[in-house]
Amino acid sequence: MAAVLRAKSKPPVAEYDRSLVWGALLLAALGLVMVYSASIATAEASRYTGQNPAYFLLRHALFLAASLLAGAVVFLVPMRGWQKAAPWLFLCGLVLLVLVLVPGLGREVNGARRWLDLRVVSLQPSELIKLAVVLYAADYTVRKHAVLKNFKKGLLPMLAVMLLVSWLLLREPDFGALVVIAVTAFGVLFLGGMNGLHFAALLLMLGVGAAGLVLSSPYRMQRILGFMDPWADPYGGGYQLTHALIAFGRGEWFGVGLGASVEKLFYLPEAHTDFLLAVIAEELGLVGVAVVIGLFLWLVLRAFAIGRQAALRERHFSALVAQGIGIWIGFQALINMGVNMGLLPTKGLTLPLMSFGGSGLLVNFAALAILLRIDWESRQLARGMTA
Amino acid sequence: MSFAATPMLVRLPVWRARVVLVLLLLGFVAVGGRSGYLQGVRTAFLKEEGEARYARLIEAPATRGRILDRNGEPLAISTPVKSVWAMPEELEADRRQRAALARALAMPLEALDRKLAEGAGRDFVYLKRQVPPEIAQRVAALKIPGVFEHREYRRYYPVGAVTAQVVGFTGVDDVGQEGMELAYQSRLAGTAGSRRVIKDRHGGVVEDIGAVQPAQDGADLVLSIDSKIQTLAYHALLDGVRKHRARAGAAIVLDVASGEILALVNVPSYNPNNRAKLAGAQLRNRALTDVFEPGSTLKPLTIALALETGKATPRTMIDTEGGQLTIANYTIRDAHPARAMSVTKVLQVSSNIGAAKIALSLPSEAMWDLYRRVGLGHPPELGFPGEAAGRLRHYSTWRPIEQATMAYGHGISVSLVQLARAYTMFARDGELAPITLLRNPGYASGQKILSTQTARAVRAMLESAVQPGGTGPLARIAGWRVAGKTGTAHKLENGSYAPDKYLSSFVGFAPVSAPRLITAVVIDEPSTGGYYGGVVAAPVFAKVMRGALRMLGVPLDAPAEPLELPSESEHAREST
Repeated sequence: MAAVLRAKSKPPVAEYDRSLVWGALLLAALGLVMVYSASIATAEASRYTGQNPAYFLLRHALFLAASLLAGAVVFLVPMRGWQKAAPWLFLCGLVLLVLVLVPGLGREVNGARRWLDLRVVSLQPSELIKLAVVLYAADYTVRKHAVLKNFKKGLLPMLAVMLLVSWLLLREPDFGALVVIAVTAFGVLFLGGMNGLHFAALLLMLGVGAAGLVLSSPYRMQRILGFMDPWADPYGGGYQLTHALIAFGRGEWFGVGLGASVEKLFYLPEAHTDFLLAVIAEELGLVGVAVVIGLFLWLVLRAFAIGRQAALRERHFSALVAQGIGIWIGFQALINMGVNMGLLPTKGLTLPLMSFGGSGLLVNFAALAILLRIDWESRQLARGMTA
Repeated sequence: MSFAATPMLVRLPVWRARVVLVLLLLGFVAVGGRSGYLQGVRTAFLKEEGEARYARLIEAPATRGRILDRNGEPLAISTPVKSVWAMPEELEADRRQRAALARALAMPLEALDRKLAEGAGRDFVYLKRQVPPEIAQRVAALKIPGVFEHREYRRYYPVGAVTAQVVGFTGVDDVGQEGMELAYQSRLAGTAGSRRVIKDRHGGVVEDIGAVQPAQDGADLVLSIDSKIQTLAYHALLDGVRKHRARAGAAIVLDVASGEILALVNVPSYNPNNRAKLAGAQLRNRALTDVFEPGSTLKPLTIALALETGKATPRTMIDTEGGQLTIANYTIRDAHPARAMSVTKVLQVSSNIGAAKIALSLPSEAMWDLYRRVGLGHPPELGFPGEAAGRLRHYSTWRPIEQATMAYGHGISVSLVQLARAYTMFARDGELAPITLLRNPGYASGQKILSTQTARAVRAMLESAVQPGGTGPLARIAGWRVAGKTGTAHKLENGSYAPDKYLSSFVGFAPVSAPRLITAVVIDEPSTGGYYGGVVAAPVFAKVMRGALRMLGVPLDAPAEPLELPSESEHAREST
């Protein structure tokens, strides 16, 4: 009865952004199914997992539940609290980035020291810092708004901090996280009104820096070359990418069917993490990939719309956080998808909300909870004003 | 309710948000476009590349056909076994697991580790081939990653040593290496089929793609061998060889009407199911691959030719020179010296001089032609690997002494199969039978070599040769009339005759009234209890013949009373 009454009254105003919640849950659910499908063969064959085919499924499900719970808690925290906590959170993130480099604490996998072993779970500081950076950058922009156009007072402190973060990330190394963090941080500064000339110069500097990093490391160079023409060396540098591309090609329009991927049968490395989209492409086809792209696009659009709403109410910190989250999630998803499709060189970046990995899921859902909070606060304000 | 806590002067430029959003949108468009290109346009190329990586043509092995005896008794069958192999690169096993694996495979841990070390760097190494299913199951239960099994067939020979040289055997790859297994390899092996499958990177088959080419199983091979007669002959021969401490022996039983080889046995033999200690001597199918100077068993041919050409009759008296005849510095001696004897007697007491003199009365070309036509000097073409041709020199090179000695089987060599076949013309009223190792019942017509009259005359003489007073009375059996000829020849060693090494043989058939079976026996180097064919080979012949006739239910043509056997072997003595 209530629903009928409400439907008859004016356009219903929900308490929160339902489409955002559904979009995120859909991605997460699809991610859960696909992580299981992509990992089942490797899990069954590996001694490390105790030959349990549901090894990754169980863990991913557990991470998801924990992340949703964490998201619910995060949602309860007012934005004002986040703003106050932002510098401290950022500091915590920095400490973790340092700790992961300490030999006894950081766990090394495949030549990268990215995990803090906490016995029960392992923490990936490079994921956690992403959320801290968004909050910090937004807070910084708002705090320093008056002097933001000034190079020395506005840009330099942020630049210094970012260089420190970059240096720490490169020590792991985690080049992919660095790119996402840099783009997100300066994206927020740009949105907040940073000097256009400075921004252009920064872009140039970033470009030169990235080129330098690539040229200075044979390992990165190899990845770049492998990406340019993976078919030149399909069993060496181009191995992973050629197999990802084959997965896409095999999928065609409607896919080979859920569970029927061949690439996941030990051919495609990292099928359940970085290359999950390739398995989706193979099993669910272009249709499946289009759904994933559409849902991420929807998340980005919602984030910017929520930011716009907040900005209209002069809640600039919230606005910048919302848009920063949009940049972060959108950019990381784009890079991951680009890598899967051979548009970008291979990096260790997961597909947000979907790929296997506890820390990533945790911060992604925390970010979405913050986004929902911002939207919720805006709606509350709107009600206060209209009611 | 106010959550806003920002200074009033802050203003966020809207166009910048739009620029960022547009950039992100462009990214999504790029990704979407790329996905469409890969999944809608480039699919053919990408799928082809994928197939090149994981589509494999795998062989669907054909089951090897069985080898059966004439009554359908299996002589060679394929039983499924497993072969255990490993991918050393993928193998993850600690010492305890490896020890368990070694124990399951019944091999020392060191041997297992050595195999794994040898296979290091390769992605395939056999740990143990052809293990029984229960051992394979035990290995599988260990669930060691990197250890795999695949199905193979192991050949099993139920009759074992008895048919070893005839049936032969296959190697570990199921390819015939000896005997009929080798001769009929392609027919038995069949044609392997193929499946085009997708394999995972560890080699596991995921699914079939494309048409499956089914394997064509090998056809069964039905031999002419009767395993009951074969077994009987084997044991009779083995007893004879043991009794006389001989080096070796061979025997053959032919069906007179069909020319089928009912038994073909060799001693020493081996167990084809366990070939760990295998020597060349055991492998040889002597009856087919070894030749020897036949000695007196060849005399009936010479005499038949004399009868056929009218040079003599069974009653024609031959001057046997008192037991000694010298031709061109070479002296021929008889074991039973006599001034003269009839042609029948020549055969009965096996007179060399008699046979030589008859031969010398015949044109060498005619002798050569007869030998040739009964199959001497060229392989019998049974399709068996390594059939011997024997040695038959062209008549134009014969000297008179050679023609004389050839009459009693010297200076010529034959295989036991050739000899047995030659005797079919006596058993079949002059018609030589084609012989075969494959089942082919019914009458097999062959070339007529002798007139019926001549054949029957020789048959009568051959019967007299096993009567008391002949050289082969031990060949007689109760209930059936037997005809046959003994042979005793010095062995040729390094081109000259060894004085104390003999080959003892006997060739004969029964029942004389309507011959059904021909049996030929040769025993190599008997060392105790005499060496004459009539003493060494004839009893084996009798045992085989009696048993075979009984098994086949051949009607009796003589009183079935116990025979009065000569107390000693005086008569068996024959000139060699």
